[in-house]
Amino acid sequence: MKMTWMTALLVSLGAVMSPLQAQEKPASVGVGVFTFTSGPAAAYGMPGKNAADLMIDQINKDGGIAGVPIKATFVDEGQGTEGVIAEYRRLASNAESQVMIAALSSSNCLALKPAVEQLKVPTVAWNCDAHQLLADGKSNYYFRPSGNTVSEFAAYALYLLQQKPDVKRVAMVNPDYAMGHDAAQIFSAALKAIRPDIEIVADLFPKLGTANFQTEISRLQSARPDVVFSALWGADLTNFVRQASPRGLFSRSQVILALGETVLQQKSLPEGVIVGVLGDGWWMSPDALAKPETKRFVDAYKARFGEYPVFPSMKMASAFSYMTEAYKKAMSDNGGKWPTRDELAKAMSSGKFETLTGTSTIREDNEGVVDQVIGMTVNSSEYDFPVIGNMVRYSGEALTPPQGSDPMQWVKSINADLLASLPKPGSYK
Amino acid sequence: MLGMIIPLVVDGLTNAALIFFVAVGLTLVFSVLRVLNVAHGSFYSIGAYIAASLCLWVVSAGLNPWLTFVALLASAVILAAALGPLVEATLIQWTFGKPESVQILATFGLFLILEDLQRIVFGVTSIAEDTPMLLLGVTSIGDMVYLNYQLLLILAAIVVVVALRMMLVKSRIGKLLSAVVFDREMALSVGINTKRLFLFAFTLGVFLAALGGALAAPTSGAAPGLGAETIVLAFAVAAIGGLGQIEGAALAAVIVGLARVFAIYFAPQLEAVAPYIVMLVVLLIRPYGLFGSDQARRI
Amino acid sequence: MRPFIYLLAALAIVGMAAVPFTAPWLQFVLTLGIANGMVALGVAILLRAGLISIGHAMFFAIGAYCIAFLSRMGINEFAALLVLGVTGSAVAGLIVGAFVVRYRAIFFAMLNLAISMVVYSLIAKMHGVTGGTDGMPLHTPTFFGVLLDKPGFDLALYYFAIVLMLIIGYLVHRYWKSPLGYALSAIESNELRLEYLGVSARSVLLIAYVVSAAISGLGGVIAGSAIGHILPDFGYWTSSAQFVLIAVLGGIGGAAGPFLGAFFLEMLHSASVNITDAWNLITGIALIVVIVFLPSGLYGLFRKRRRSGS
Repeated sequence: MKMTWMTALLVSLGAVMSPLQAQEKPASVGVGVFTFTSGPAAAYGMPGKNAADLMIDQINKDGGIAGVPIKATFVDEGQGTEGVIAEYRRLASNAESQVMIAALSSSNCLALKPAVEQLKVPTVAWNCDAHQLLADGKSNYYFRPSGNTVSEFAAYALYLLQQKPDVKRVAMVNPDYAMGHDAAQIFSAALKAIRPDIEIVADLFPKLGTANFQTEISRLQSARPDVVFSALWGADLTNFVRQASPRGLFSRSQVILALGETVLQQKSLPEGVIVGVLGDGWWMSPDALAKPETKRFVDAYKARFGEYPVFPSMKMASAFSYMTEAYKKAMSDNGGKWPTRDELAKAMSSGKFETLTGTSTIREDNEGVVDQVIGMTVNSSEYDFPVIGNMVRYSGEALTPPQGSDPMQWVKSINADLLASLPKPGSYK
Repeated sequence: MLGMIIPLVVDGLTNAALIFFVAVGLTLVFSVLRVLNVAHGSFYSIGAYIAASLCLWVVSAGLNPWLTFVALLASAVILAAALGPLVEATLIQWTFGKPESVQILATFGLFLILEDLQRIVFGVTSIAEDTPMLLLGVTSIGDMVYLNYQLLLILAAIVVVVALRMMLVKSRIGKLLSAVVFDREMALSVGINTKRLFLFAFTLGVFLAALGGALAAPTSGAAPGLGAETIVLAFAVAAIGGLGQIEGAALAAVIVGLARVFAIYFAPQLEAVAPYIVMLVVLLIRPYGLFGSDQARRI
Repeated sequence: MRPFIYLLAALAIVGMAAVPFTAPWLQFVLTLGIANGMVALGVAILLRAGLISIGHAMFFAIGAYCIAFLSRMGINEFAALLVLGVTGSAVAGLIVGAFVVRYRAIFFAMLNLAISMVVYSLIAKMHGVTGGTDGMPLHTPTFFGVLLDKPGFDLALYYFAIVLMLIIGYLVHRYWKSPLGYALSAIESNELRLEYLGVSARSVLLIAYVVSAAISGLGGVIAGSAIGHILPDFGYWTSSAQFVLIAVLGGIGGAAGPFLGAFFLEMLHSASVNITDAWNLITGIALIVVIVFLPSGLYGLFRKRRRSGS
């Protein structure tokens, strides 16, 4: 009895103390990976998990990080925010966990932020993009190499104005949570900054996980919009497209599906829908095709999972390459020793990192600056699903507000000069 | 504004139709067996899962797509036959005579069990198959395009209301049911086999809920958590109409359906609240629902 | 046999007090167990009168959201948050109770459900005010004036919760043994006779309702402070049903019952979370087993043993 009590005390003391000093190489790198593997969001989250599995296997096959294999623990965000927070705390309190890759949903990232800073575990926000996460610029342990909603949704507004300059009536339908509200706010503000005469004729927020959009579709149709903008994703997007298609939504309005690339392989989209990848993670982009490691990744993904990756997969892959690069950087900075959590965080907090589809430059506020690739659906002779054509690649710097400034102020300050300075749709080949 | 009336009504009635199927089953079971079945919504979601799975199978086997409609109906029948008698004979019968809190808890336990069984059997991701929806085509009225499938749903609901009422009034088993509802003890003493009637009523309730889920599947698919959302809405509708009142459930479903759609069009923030506000308002004015009635107080 | 029960209880309390040193991962679980036990106790108070409330999670949520709003407004002291949060729930209980105590049985249950769903839906939809489904963060408050980091605050909260559990448990025990408490049981068995005695059933119930709402709000304050993030799900109907489940599991015979039920469920959850995902299945089966074989709940188990032991 006494022995186990003493042992427990010593073990816990040891667990508390070990992250403090630089260590010998551990037996494995514990990585907590948070994504949705159940529920309507799993349609979006599983490609992320697949990519994680693939990256981990590839990295470990190449010898791991400086010889140390990665050991991942997957956490299902489908259990709800409360469970996600509890799991994060549980994993973080274990000294074996060195890094976290979390999370998919902006709600969960926002909820995890206090724990991230308190428990001091370097965490890579691999998918959540609500700009509020790092807006205060004071984060030391949360990093976001894939950028945030400000550049992503401003880019859609700019593409629309380039592609369809005579737009007048815009309707929006977005999921009712942080990212959805962000998307609606930024997209409409950017449009109105250049064309104040544009009218938002519908601004709908069905709750996340809504299965039946018939009423929303009727409401959208009755408003007779020129453009329908939506940041719906996962099974919500699948259901929306399925229900809207026969009712003629795509033929009567120009539809923008901000996360539409994820459903291309479902073959449900007609031509001419504006879609993008919330960043530059389009694996068929010229930049991506030029990188041999990208082709390797895509081929391995298709062989293993029977379908091509989508941009959540690319974001997850970016998170892993960012993490691996940061480890190498931290070790070269401290003379080859295995880095502590703090040393890793320092390495993550700045620099320019290569991803499978471009680069990411980390600013002082831990946001990554990435390019934005947007285009329109077009049928392909090579694949049996529509691909993205009429593409444009906006540079990250042009669309990122200066550090420390209020992002919404910057969005409102977008003007016709910026629009004119950008490359045109179709210029990215 | 006027241009919105037709879409409002069509959407409202479609909404109403789907929730009516679940609510009427719930209210029927309550009126005959005097049991409020918390697991009723699970029958809706399992019905949806079976329907989506069957339709997927029909399509992948290359069979005539019109068979998917048969598949929808078959799902409801299969589920009712499989679970109706089983649940009624075991759990429900055990709750007879026990206090209400025990009844509610027993059926809540069943709800929890069915939630996880669904995950285990059907998996954790959403499934959908929209062939029935596409087969029926669309109708254009003015600026709006409607799915004919939506109209089918409304029609099906009307058929069910009429059929139920006719069954209760005209058929032998219906009259027996009415007798049991009116005065159970009297019915027993006259020699009516209440046990078989309870079984029939409960199975019919399961069938109706499963039918609702099956008919909803082509548009909305099936996903985890569907049962929990459905049951609380079904409660609201059944309570508004008056527990045990079939026409009440129909009227309540129409009111709630229209309320939700109104909210989406004019006050989207209130869409989720609308049914419960209606429930509150109705219950505060008529505590037993629109058509419900009081029961004698014990002395 | 009374001393045996007290000895067991004392050992349990000592065991709980030692948890932060012997089994630190249990601390969070037990804090939540106490919070859930509080709400279940609130439900148990009403169950005594034969009234089942499938909406009590709304007071749990109101307590939690109260402190989230207060924290956002700048109030950063736990004692103040506690008092104001409980007061908020009590006031809500008074408003809601004034309506619902006129009803009995199924209709009481339905009304509570309806009101709780109104509260839930409003919270979930008002994204601008309550953060909607994203929820609201809670910054770590000072603990009775002392500034602590989160782990320190969690520890202080845990011990404070244990103390609260004992105090509230004792107070409810006295309440149940008082005339007001006996009046509650009388409402279940024969309300009309109670009225003939000159006791207003409605007043008795209203008092009980406000007390139960306040205790539930207290549970919400504890849970919210422990988790650090407040979500609308705190008030969803399945949470209400879980609280009723805990009350019945634990048994409503004594004030300790709901807490027993809460701890049992949390332990079961922690034990099974690594083995299986079918948490609902286990809970559902446990619930049915208990109501079929152990109608007096786990608490009833102790009393039976007590009787057979002597």
